[in-house]
Amino acid sequence: MKVKRRSSQADVPSMAMGDIAFNLLIFFVILARAQDDSHLQWQPAAAEEINATGTAKVAVLIDNDNKYYVNGQQVGAAQIADEVDALLGNAPAGERIVLFKVHREAQALYFEPAIEAISEVGGDIVHVLEQKQE
Amino acid sequence: MVEPPSSATGDIAFNLIVFFLVCASVQPDSGRQQTLPRSEQEEEQQSENIEVQLGRNTVMLNGNILRQQDFAAALKRALNGKTRAEDRVVIVKSKADTPYHHWVVVTEMIETAGGIVTIQTEEEQQVVVPGG
Repeated sequence: MKVKRRSSQADVPSMAMGDIAFNLLIFFVILARAQDDSHLQWQPAAAEEINATGTAKVAVLIDNDNKYYVNGQQVGAAQIADEVDALLGNAPAGERIVLFKVHREAQALYFEPAIEAISEVGGDIVHVLEQKQE
Repeated sequence: MVEPPSSATGDIAFNLIVFFLVCASVQPDSGRQQTLPRSEQEEEQQSENIEVQLGRNTVMLNGNILRQQDFAAALKRALNGKTRAEDRVVIVKSKADTPYHHWVVVTEMIETAGGIVTIQTEEEQQVVVPGG
């Protein structure tokens, strides 16, 4: 006697595609947030002449509590040079831009060691500022 | 009344998120690039260079206290005739409580006047007394 083999279907239901995409997106957004510093509290200083900064691999930020962050991760003052050096790697001159975001009221005691650390590892500092209002 | 099918809710949410993400990420940063000479260059030349000292609200040029609006003109006079890059180095010494916005304004003036900013931190400013 011949027994007919039954074929089973195992498709991903197309109804769930939107939900899958949604969850994937949430996953990548959270992953990207870890390197982002948009949640940190700081106010830029003003300057008369500012230019577009372009893209940079590294951003050093000093917030309104005088805490240091490299690409959104909190670090100590002594770690800035090593962290920036590791992120810049062997990038050639011109591609070693480091965005320097400092709260306008931060004191020299805090921002000068950071400037020194960045220039020590060959980073090209770009001070992130806002246009001075007349 | 025709309602949108509930199976499309996920797609609608997805498109809304993409829209807000794109809106949030299109604001670029703007600022000012600054090239600081390496510290070994600074050590060789610091005896002849122009010195600017910053306090909380004050600015001093070669030991003379100035108003911020007079600083740019005085600095231009001091840099006048200095054509070599190494002569145009301006050493900026800041007191610990100097706020960043004040530092930015003064260093912008220095660069506009044609000076090359270099910083000297508190540690480097300490004077070692021989035999002390």
